[in-house]
Amino acid sequence: MRKSTILLSSLLLVGSLLLTACSNNSNTNNAAATDNSATVTAAADGATGSAASSSPAPVPAGALSEPYTATDLSKLPAVAQNRTDTIIVGLTDPSGAFTPYFQESGYDGNVSSLLYASLVTVDEKGVPAPELAESWDVSEDQLTYTFHLHKDLKFSDGSPLTADDVAFTWTIQYDKAYDGGSSLPTLNVKGGQAYKEGKATTIEGIKVIDPQTISVTLEKPNATALVVLGSNVLSKAYYGKDYKFGQLEYIKKLHEKPLGDGPYKLEKFIPGQEVRLVANENYFKGKPKTEHFIYKTSEGDVWQFLETGEVDYASFSATDENIEKLKALGYVNILPYTPSTYGYMQVNLKHEQLKDKLVRQALMYGLDRQSIYVDATQGAGAIANIPASPISWAYTEEGINPYKYDPEKAKQLLDEAGWAVGANGIREKDGKPFSIHYLGSKSKNTDIFIAVAKENFAALGIDFQPEVFADFNSLVSKVEGGDYDLVSFSTSMLTDPADGFMQFFDGEITDYENPKFLELYNKALATSDIEERKAVYKELYQLFNDELPILFTSYKKTVYAYNGRIQNLSVSPFIGLAGSLPEWTLK
Amino acid sequence: MSTYLTKRLLYMLVILFAASLLIFCLYALTPGDFITGNIKLTAERKAELREIYGLNKPVLERYGLWMKDAFHGNFGYSLAQQKPVLQLFSDYIWNSFLLAAVSTFLTWVIAVIVGVISAYKQYSWFDTLVMVAIFAAMSLPSFFIGLFLIKILAVDLKWLPPGGMITTGSNATGLAYLKEVVRHMTLPVVVMVLLGLGSLTRYFRSNMIDVLQQDYIRTARAKGLKERKVLFTHALRNALLPAITLVGFELPALFGGSLIIEQIFNWPGIGQLYMKSFGLRDYPLLMGFTMFIAILTVIGTLLSDILYRVADPRVRL
Repeated sequence: MRKSTILLSSLLLVGSLLLTACSNNSNTNNAAATDNSATVTAAADGATGSAASSSPAPVPAGALSEPYTATDLSKLPAVAQNRTDTIIVGLTDPSGAFTPYFQESGYDGNVSSLLYASLVTVDEKGVPAPELAESWDVSEDQLTYTFHLHKDLKFSDGSPLTADDVAFTWTIQYDKAYDGGSSLPTLNVKGGQAYKEGKATTIEGIKVIDPQTISVTLEKPNATALVVLGSNVLSKAYYGKDYKFGQLEYIKKLHEKPLGDGPYKLEKFIPGQEVRLVANENYFKGKPKTEHFIYKTSEGDVWQFLETGEVDYASFSATDENIEKLKALGYVNILPYTPSTYGYMQVNLKHEQLKDKLVRQALMYGLDRQSIYVDATQGAGAIANIPASPISWAYTEEGINPYKYDPEKAKQLLDEAGWAVGANGIREKDGKPFSIHYLGSKSKNTDIFIAVAKENFAALGIDFQPEVFADFNSLVSKVEGGDYDLVSFSTSMLTDPADGFMQFFDGEITDYENPKFLELYNKALATSDIEERKAVYKELYQLFNDELPILFTSYKKTVYAYNGRIQNLSVSPFIGLAGSLPEWTLK
Repeated sequence: MSTYLTKRLLYMLVILFAASLLIFCLYALTPGDFITGNIKLTAERKAELREIYGLNKPVLERYGLWMKDAFHGNFGYSLAQQKPVLQLFSDYIWNSFLLAAVSTFLTWVIAVIVGVISAYKQYSWFDTLVMVAIFAAMSLPSFFIGLFLIKILAVDLKWLPPGGMITTGSNATGLAYLKEVVRHMTLPVVVMVLLGLGSLTRYFRSNMIDVLQQDYIRTARAKGLKERKVLFTHALRNALLPAITLVGFELPALFGGSLIIEQIFNWPGIGQLYMKSFGLRDYPLLMGFTMFIAILTVIGTLLSDILYRVADPRVRL
């Protein structure tokens, strides 16, 4: 009898875990935005909490618009004071799969971005810039890319890096057993499909011209190709020595023993604790200035580690409270940061009520986004109106409707769309009441959204039915089932402006059919000239801003706080700290 | 005894088989799979990946494949961590075990001592004080007391480290390493003992009170035995008997990790890993770990039955 009770209780345990499980993979990137209007610079005298609360005027979003320098380095905890050649940065959860293209977690990507350099990198605006490739040519028809590598490039073990390694890197991503998330296969390299199907032993479009030169031909022009192709390079001698077509299992054994060409190389990986890196003397730009770099696994709150000097660098949501607290520490520099993402609500365009553009516009006017995303988050957010982050080179506010909160205008639009207020105060059309079924991931921000939206929608005469998910996968599968009207998402990091429209091509949003959109989208990808593309994206953003196939919500704002002894630190929204890390020194 | 054992082992196999099927189905039928969460993939790529991982097959076929591999000692690769499941176990479980073993040991020792004394001195001021303190400790939420202790002892007073298992970047070995780990585990162990102490102390106290009222205790005292001997040889031994059942339950807990404590104290244990892999639907890891706990549970109950027989000759198996 007891056995069965125990079994039952263990199953109950499993069951309850199923229920309470919460997911970490919801796309809650620490996004942020520079507030163009915020010109108020925070008082630089280490303002205390009381100073903040005594100012009656509302502090503009992102009270910190400029970097803030530590005021009193003597307050630095002794632990951090004693480190002379080591910098420690917190990282949520690296799993140990450090091979680029084969990792599932973005945290492993953070590690591998220090272990591997790219052919082409991007600057702080997202514009491609040379790295391992000193230059590249794009053919007239925008189909062939030729990369010219630097001479004497070496992997960290001293072996040479040549065009053969690049060719190998591209080729294995077309292997039929390749299960990683790289977007290279979607570029349609000529002959890639034939290779994948086993009809060819090499990929026709990839040509090694000499050890420093390699070219690749695509079937269709794609302006994102340069950066996608120009990513990390895997050593053929190391990762390719056991390679046979259709068999990539062996690479898993190499995940924890990466061989790269980046500024650092792996010294030791302690699962769940640390990733220890040591400067790579073979790095093509010269050995980094700080000998040791450690990514410390730190789930959740990092305050305690920053306060005790166990980490040198951490990111926080840019709330007024956080900023005041960081300033009070005295020994950290604070850097306002703008991630390249945006938040949006996906609209179920299959539902009759939301097919109407007027209704979607009414929802935008009728939602008090200022209260939800800016005021309630203490300034750690800004309002989004287009599918691009304000730091992107394509960002524009020209001809963009800001959809300022205007319930009267919203009501008017709904009336126009034929939704009349019914007997019980809920709008109706053809005898059907207007009801919105909203899905969101469990978080504080979702709670705020629901509280405000419920009131906003009630004022418009819309019945609002929120549903909150603790588990991201459950939410997505509910969306796939089609049982929703609105669902909140945030994009992952957008490198190219084209990425901002990804959700319309990866199968998530299938019901937005607008020939004009497709035409413009392809036009923007058909050229690699930035000015030309800018003009097309402006048109696209204006179209989206008016059509609203998705409802734009917010940008998030973040600050980085780091040990005031670190010099030369900058963070790129596209490549994180990898770009400036080789220059970091400890004062 | 041997027929009993054979029968029990057979039952165990049946139970584990049924449990594995049920657990597998539970995980497989939870909405969303490993691929769903990655909203960056196109529908075609998702289908391709499901094909590669075999997620497009019917649940029972997937179960059969998993079972077949498991019988060959292959518990698969974690999809999210890209490592063999068994390697992940050895990477993380021992850290959880260390924490659990030390805190369980301390909890039991303290609970027995305190329980016996407060039973012996029932309704004395000591007893009342202990009961009040125990109820207070039991009712504290673990995350609150954990964060509170970090704030006081680690951040403000800097007596103990705020989390982790070793000092970041430390290359200590031998005794220095041991000292480092002990320092880092002090806070989590204190919290775990505080939270676990209550129920166990009350359990021993009430057992002891029951036993102290038995006739044989009066007889022992009447014989003129020393009070110490009455208490520790006659009474305590009998009072501890029912606790053997608990030992069986402790076995899976020793290896199962503690989600909240590990999270708060940044401890590299299996509990955290398990929770994360649930969010990601990392089936091989989930299945491997849950089955591991199921096996320990079954073994634990068998163990406690056998121990019962060893400790108490009156029990027949």
